[in-house]
Amino acid sequence: MRVEADGTVDVTVTVNGRAVTLAVAPRTTLSDVLRDRLGLTGTHVGCEHGVCGMCTVLLDGEAVRACLLFAVQCDGASLTTVEGLGSADDQHPLQQAFSHHHALQCGFCTPGMLMSSYDLLAGGTYSRDTLAEDMSGVLCRCTGYRGILAAVADVAETHADGVPPPRAAVPPALVGRTSGASPASSLALNARKSASSDTSPAEAPGEIPPEITAPTGPPTATVEVRSELASGVDDVWAVLADFDRLAACLPGAEMTADLGDDRYRGRATVGLGPVSLRFDGLAHVVEHDPVARRMRVLAQGTDRGGSSTQAVIRLAADPAEGGGTVLWADADVHLSGRVAQFGRALAGDVSRRLFEQFAEAVDEAARTGEAPTTRTSPLRLALGALLARIRRLVQRRR
Amino acid sequence: MKAAPFAYHRPDSVDEAVDALAGGDAKVLAGGQSLVPVLAMRLGRPGTLVDITRVPGLDDLEVTGGVLRIGAAVRQRTVERSEAARAVPLIGRAMPFVGHRELRSRGTVCGSLAHADPAAELPAVAACLDATVVLRGPRGTREVPARELVVGAMTTAAGPDELITEVRFPAAAPGDGFGFAEIARRHGDFALAGVAVHVRRGGGATLAAFGVSDRPVVRDVTALLGTDPTEAGLRPSTDALADEIVDTAGDSHGSRGYRARLLGVLAARELVRAYREAHA
Repeated sequence: MRVEADGTVDVTVTVNGRAVTLAVAPRTTLSDVLRDRLGLTGTHVGCEHGVCGMCTVLLDGEAVRACLLFAVQCDGASLTTVEGLGSADDQHPLQQAFSHHHALQCGFCTPGMLMSSYDLLAGGTYSRDTLAEDMSGVLCRCTGYRGILAAVADVAETHADGVPPPRAAVPPALVGRTSGASPASSLALNARKSASSDTSPAEAPGEIPPEITAPTGPPTATVEVRSELASGVDDVWAVLADFDRLAACLPGAEMTADLGDDRYRGRATVGLGPVSLRFDGLAHVVEHDPVARRMRVLAQGTDRGGSSTQAVIRLAADPAEGGGTVLWADADVHLSGRVAQFGRALAGDVSRRLFEQFAEAVDEAARTGEAPTTRTSPLRLALGALLARIRRLVQRRR
Repeated sequence: MKAAPFAYHRPDSVDEAVDALAGGDAKVLAGGQSLVPVLAMRLGRPGTLVDITRVPGLDDLEVTGGVLRIGAAVRQRTVERSEAARAVPLIGRAMPFVGHRELRSRGTVCGSLAHADPAAELPAVAACLDATVVLRGPRGTREVPARELVVGAMTTAAGPDELITEVRFPAAAPGDGFGFAEIARRHGDFALAGVAVHVRRGGGATLAAFGVSDRPVVRDVTALLGTDPTEAGLRPSTDALADEIVDTAGDSHGSRGYRARLLGVLAARELVRAYREAHA
């Protein structure tokens, strides 16, 4: 296998339990891929030549310097970053101990210290006598190390029969940040190529629409919305069954091409304060049961800025007492890249508002037999989500 | 601190690796723990890196016929954990001093020999034990004694188109004793001075000093142990030996005289340790 200096090669790595494939140049380091392409900025970069230890991650279970590895060397490897060690809600015992023992000040070395100390404890060679030497592979300029050593010793003693494994809580950020390289963005690229010629004159004719794969790992946000609609269940299902009308009911969304085989190309705009994202992507209706009135849709999209989203959406319409309809919409939303930094709470809020507005639009479409005439603007969506969030915060304080 | 562009070649066989090294503009990439910093600082700009870590057979680690064979792709940490490698206890003594745990996860034993840093531990261990390095090149396979491999600072007898495929260490025999020590400013740094020693019960003692010359320096020290194998008894002769061996000019971390003094102390201490182990 040979990759020229100006070429790229697809590399598949499992990061915090989730497989991802990226195109990388030979000289691209693992640390750069983790930070710049996967958005996993918990892995810090200090000296970039193997001295400081800030970039320490686990590769196939052993601590390594991510700056001294080219990503191309890691093909097939399993990686754990500090994001996979534990999360804010579910901290690893080492993270709790670091907090308890004041083992950090500025925090810059902390991810490296955590991954290095995990490796030490998991490797079974811990000894209080050699702890200082064993932890010397990562530099700290604030603490004088005492808190760090105390934290590691604490965990070693309280977990004498073995340190718990990484929580493997999959972090919100995955899939590529750089367009043209991540699976999601290459998918979008293929989608553009395979779109009809009036929207994409340069497309290669006859290209097969790509597969959309279901995302793996825990989602960034899970949304469950139950809406009671006035319209009858058959009218509601008629809207859901017609993808054209269904897409028109999605706030900020627009279908741009029917690719056949229940695959569609489209775009969705999301505005949130200063944030404005336009996702180009694909949707695939993978299940469609007119008897039970249930459907499942896989959707995937990328923004030019490198944010991307994947979603598994399940819709169900059940008859309600009194002739109306109960519309169930739930979705596992996976966000990656910069958008993921907004965090799971806001992602959940925005998604929930989106589905509530979707349900309203479906009701209107079912009633009128048309696509909704008043489209929800992205701005209103954003304000609605923020408003709902502020209201909840106020309620919580009361 | 980004490496200049290079082509990446991952061969499936030793022959393909040797072919890829032809032309002189390629470097072998194994663990990369010494090479990649050089690339990051753009002190080197090889046109091609030949990643040998997935070549079948180069990951061999076994003892056969009293010889420990360590293939070129075998990582230091694998050796550290290996039952087979206990046949050569001196490797186990030296390994904790090789960089840090995080570097030994990737760094290879053969890579350390190929890089040939004058202060590196493993070339000194290989020289002390009279290990044999196996090279493969376009002209075939040849064996080079570890004591002849390093010909200067970061310079070896291996040609640019040759690949170290394995290193062979003689397994320890009953009645062998070993000692290893180094002084570095911080743990994991390259040594200011260090020694590896091997003492055989019934006669025979070898010392390899490192960090004090442009390559490991090997001396037969059997005569030193003759009359008074105690630290105090040995010091006059190890001090004289150190004075003779140390030929670095010294730097801000330690003058030539300081390093000679360190070496004299460490040599006496480790010779006594190895002598006691051999006669235990």
